[in-house]
Amino acid sequence: MGPWQLLKTDIRRGVGTIYLDNDQRFNTLHRDCILELRDALKVLEDDTDVGCIVLTGDPGESFAVGANIAEMKDFQPLDGWKFSQLGQGLFDQIEQAKKPVIAALNGITMGGGCDLALACDIRLASDRLKIAHPGAKLGIITGFCGTQKLPRIVGRNKAKEIFMTAGTYSAQEALRMKLIEQVYPAAQFMDSVRVYAEQIAAQPRQALQLAKKLLNAAENVCLNNGQVMELGAFASLFPRAGTMERIDDFFAAHSRIDSPE
Amino acid sequence: MESISFTLQDGLAHIQLQRPDRLNAVSLTMLSELQELFERLGKEQAVTGVLLAGSGGNFSAGADLNEIRHFTPLEAIAFAEQGQKLCSMIEGFPRPVLVAVSGYALGAGLELALSCDYILADTTAQFAFRELSYGVLPAFGGTQRLPRLVGKAKAKEMIFTGQLLGAEEALRIGLINQLFAPEEMLVKVKGQLQQICSYGLLSLQLGKEVIDTGYEINLAAACKMERDAFAVCFSTDDQKEGMDAFMEKRQPRFTGK
Repeated sequence: MGPWQLLKTDIRRGVGTIYLDNDQRFNTLHRDCILELRDALKVLEDDTDVGCIVLTGDPGESFAVGANIAEMKDFQPLDGWKFSQLGQGLFDQIEQAKKPVIAALNGITMGGGCDLALACDIRLASDRLKIAHPGAKLGIITGFCGTQKLPRIVGRNKAKEIFMTAGTYSAQEALRMKLIEQVYPAAQFMDSVRVYAEQIAAQPRQALQLAKKLLNAAENVCLNNGQVMELGAFASLFPRAGTMERIDDFFAAHSRIDSPE
Repeated sequence: MESISFTLQDGLAHIQLQRPDRLNAVSLTMLSELQELFERLGKEQAVTGVLLAGSGGNFSAGADLNEIRHFTPLEAIAFAEQGQKLCSMIEGFPRPVLVAVSGYALGAGLELALSCDYILADTTAQFAFRELSYGVLPAFGGTQRLPRLVGKAKAKEMIFTGQLLGAEEALRIGLINQLFAPEEMLVKVKGQLQQICSYGLLSLQLGKEVIDTGYEINLAAACKMERDAFAVCFSTDDQKEGMDAFMEKRQPRFTGK
């Protein structure tokens, strides 16, 4: 795969992992990095060995810290518009991906890096996480969907606090506000992430893909339409050999537990 | 102003509900006075942020029942419209508006708090919607803003049961953002507001607007709106100053231009 300059990938036990690696202290999400990410995601999405994708900055100090300020500081409004468009294109791709994408937040996660995490399906964090949206300190707001996705995840008022104060939050604080799903000790972080991702990768692909689609749709369609979509998705899984076998296995297992000796 | 007081210091407007003998009940006079004040402050360039608080150990026990008990339906509509208009005005205020709650924040008082950017409280704070026990409903947007903040089921629980929620519980369900000891709350909240208002006021205003507006429309459309607002930032002096200061490792001096 590749060759990529700003990231590495590997595939193990059904999990395709993208390691952001800018060769600098922090991973910045500049134009080339976004383009490589789009490319690598496509490769892993199309690879039949991959059931689940993990995005991380491990073993570096940061997950990602957003744009390169040296580059961005001389932007004209149109440059800002195009850059935002480019980033949002990547995030659309993550959301539309047929496979679940997990953000493994190994450390510092700020600005556009936070938005990258928000675009993923699930966020797992090391207890060394430091997460923030410091745009206000720079006189800007984010252009990578953060002002829209963060309120939908942590609630409108908490999102306003995060943007307005530009404060930095720990893993425990992020867990409490449901910004992340799990926290693991830094020493076992990637091992824990792999176990978690392998469990998802082992699920039947078709059902996994439909579940992701439906859960994403739930945010944007009214309940009645969502239910109709759910019916169609559910029906499409029958009668498949895999589904029927799993149902048989389930009942076999339960009859063994339920029936007295 | 007889029902509220107001001071302006270093750009921060501090508004206090001032009917402590009536637990700062929201009267018709208070509604009009708040509305006039927010209208005036919105035009004042010098105002960079607003702190709303109560007095006498309480934020507000809600609408003044003496005034509303003999309302006709038409009077009730006019009253609710006036309250909703005030709450929308607070929500849409171009500068950050924080609210600091001690003691009771009930009914209409809680609805005022819900229209601020976020709620801070001390450990004496208690929250409830008790309208149903008087045979009426919250009508200053409470039935709409509460579920958006704490979830539909929790909002139903609060409005159906009328139970008083303590500060810890309010923090746990996300009704309030932060909890303080009573003696330190005002200092901490003012410090936080000052910190916020030291940033670029234009990006704060844009951020507030895209969060509020975007929350009400579908995500794809909302992200496009954010993209355009982001692009606008690059026409401001604040963006140049903020990023130059970052590169030069110094404190920025924002001008709000």
